[in-house]
Amino acid sequence: MTYPDENRYPPSASPGWHQPHTEPQWYGYEAPRYYPYGQAPWDEPYAQETPRHDADLAALRSAYRLLRRTSTLTALGSFVLYVVLSCGAPGLMGSKIAGELSLGMALGVLQLVVTFGAVFWYGRSAQRSVDPLARVVREQAVTAGRNAGVAR
Amino acid sequence: MNDFSSGTQATVLLLFTVLVTLTLLMCVMAGPDRDDLTNFYTGYLSLTPFKNGLAIAGDYISAATVLSTTGIVALTGYDGYVLAVSTALSLVLLMFLLAEPLRNAGQFTMGDVLARNMPGRAVRVAACVVTLSATVPFLIVQLSGAGSLLTFILDLPHVAGARTGSIVMVGSLMIIYAALGGMRGTALVQMVKIVFLLATSAVVAVLVLNHFDWSFGDVLRAAQQGSGAGPAYLEQGLQLGTSAGERLDFIGFQITVVLGVACLPHITMRLFSAQDAPTVRRSMSWAVGTVTTFCLLVIIMGTGAAALVGSRSIIAADPHGRTSVLMLSQALGGSPGSTGTTVLYSAVAGMVFITLLSSVAGMTLAAASSLAHDLFAHAARRGQAEPRTEMTVAVWTSVVVGTVAIGLATLVQNWNVGVLTTLAICTGASAVAPALTYSLFWRGFTRTGLLATLYGGAACALVLLVFSKAVSGTPSALFPDADFALFPMQSTGLVSVPFGYLAGWLGSRLDHRRRAADSLENRRLYEESEARLLAAAK
Repeated sequence: MTYPDENRYPPSASPGWHQPHTEPQWYGYEAPRYYPYGQAPWDEPYAQETPRHDADLAALRSAYRLLRRTSTLTALGSFVLYVVLSCGAPGLMGSKIAGELSLGMALGVLQLVVTFGAVFWYGRSAQRSVDPLARVVREQAVTAGRNAGVAR
Repeated sequence: MNDFSSGTQATVLLLFTVLVTLTLLMCVMAGPDRDDLTNFYTGYLSLTPFKNGLAIAGDYISAATVLSTTGIVALTGYDGYVLAVSTALSLVLLMFLLAEPLRNAGQFTMGDVLARNMPGRAVRVAACVVTLSATVPFLIVQLSGAGSLLTFILDLPHVAGARTGSIVMVGSLMIIYAALGGMRGTALVQMVKIVFLLATSAVVAVLVLNHFDWSFGDVLRAAQQGSGAGPAYLEQGLQLGTSAGERLDFIGFQITVVLGVACLPHITMRLFSAQDAPTVRRSMSWAVGTVTTFCLLVIIMGTGAAALVGSRSIIAADPHGRTSVLMLSQALGGSPGSTGTTVLYSAVAGMVFITLLSSVAGMTLAAASSLAHDLFAHAARRGQAEPRTEMTVAVWTSVVVGTVAIGLATLVQNWNVGVLTTLAICTGASAVAPALTYSLFWRGFTRTGLLATLYGGAACALVLLVFSKAVSGTPSALFPDADFALFPMQSTGLVSVPFGYLAGWLGSRLDHRRRAADSLENRRLYEESEARLLAAAK
């Protein structure tokens, strides 16, 4: 049995994480390489961690909000439209499109079939947009907790 | 009545015994450790997303979905199709909107989510009251339905004694599952049930299509004929009527189903047994996939029942068509007494039986957990209860909830209690859904707002429903002879859902005005816990 933390937040589990003010070569492989001056952002004093944390949290919040609104409104909107059309335009929904199959029935079954795709799309988008940001926020919470512990 | 040889009855009884023994054994073996609360309330945190998804789907597809929805499809065609779509969509909305923050915010019950920023006993009590008022009516409907269903399946004489006996038997089994198994044991039962349910329904659906040589046009044509409604079978309006008011009622009911069904506490409680947000997402994907597949099968089975059995026989057996699946399996099997009929009928009877058992067990557990965790441990003992005591209380509240439900179900077994399903769904949509969405996404939500949503939404749904056409004034109402229907609809969602949201908003505004300090404190608590809500950061 491995602990989930082992896989999920490798930096927080590494010893170099506690002591950001030690030798710079730590950043060499601990931090992503594209920080030009060897100044990884978490190397800055604690005082600046709150705004960064807030910025990341805000990014996560808006990513979640975008995903939630798009997916919920699409799903709910298409269904409400379908029900209102069924009731408001029975002639249109009752028109036969293939043999006995009416447009309304076809749309109903289509919604069920599209559901599979929608769920798959949601999972993919969440993995791309939300999960990385959530990981950053979690890691920062862990560091902030540790730094608070050191300062005490 | 079914005219079956004793061989079929023996097979059905044997299958029932095997199912009960098997699931009871699983329940006891998997039962929670004596003083491990997490074990009892959430089961395995280590369950794979696939299995957890099956358990969620199992909890979600209640006996009402299997029997009533198939019946409604068989009797009303198009309206039934819309109901199947809205049933599937409700779980999709739960996944898209609530599942992940709900998982991060909660621990065991709905009360934990609502009270996380608003400590105090009133919130816990309100959460418990609403949980009970959403689960207990649903429980009673299913139990009292179990009576007539089992007498039908086992071909017992249609007397009150036989029905009461069936209710007590199903009820006792349900108490045992809930009390001994906890979330962990019932998860296993739900998994067995959903696999059995899907497999049997798929076979029935394939047989239906095979009977018509895989021509959908032929099925639909035969269904229009069998339903006696002709082309109207494939148009909206058979269920509630086609006047403007009745159409509005239909729209309201469908929207209530979409908002309410997935918010029922026994389903949201299942989400807490996932490990983290990505896991809950994957679990929900499996659950939605399973439920959607099942809804497609329900459409085929219901249409098949209309085509092969005909609505006259369905209505003769049960005015709401709840026995249509069983009658369809009889019609599909061929000549009475043949092996095919015996096997198919027994399988469908077994599927109905295990669905009934597992769904009532899940609801009992949700009601009992809320009583033990919200009312006893947090409201009465102020969160100071020993885990061991809380667990004992949870076991005993399952027994009490179960016993009360058995008693009530026996009392109302001769009434048409379908309205209680509507009550549960309307409570879910007008009290639970607004409370959860506000509590998770609105930082300005305050304690008064929460209480107003919970009590106001639930009370509005209850009062309107009492004065609705579902309770009096129509032949299919609860009291067909009386007429005090002031609210001209069958379901209340069109009014009570906006009312629930409005009550929450007004209550919070009131707090901003009157108790600015408290509402600021609430906002601060929300912001403080936002990292946990969105990212599960400690």
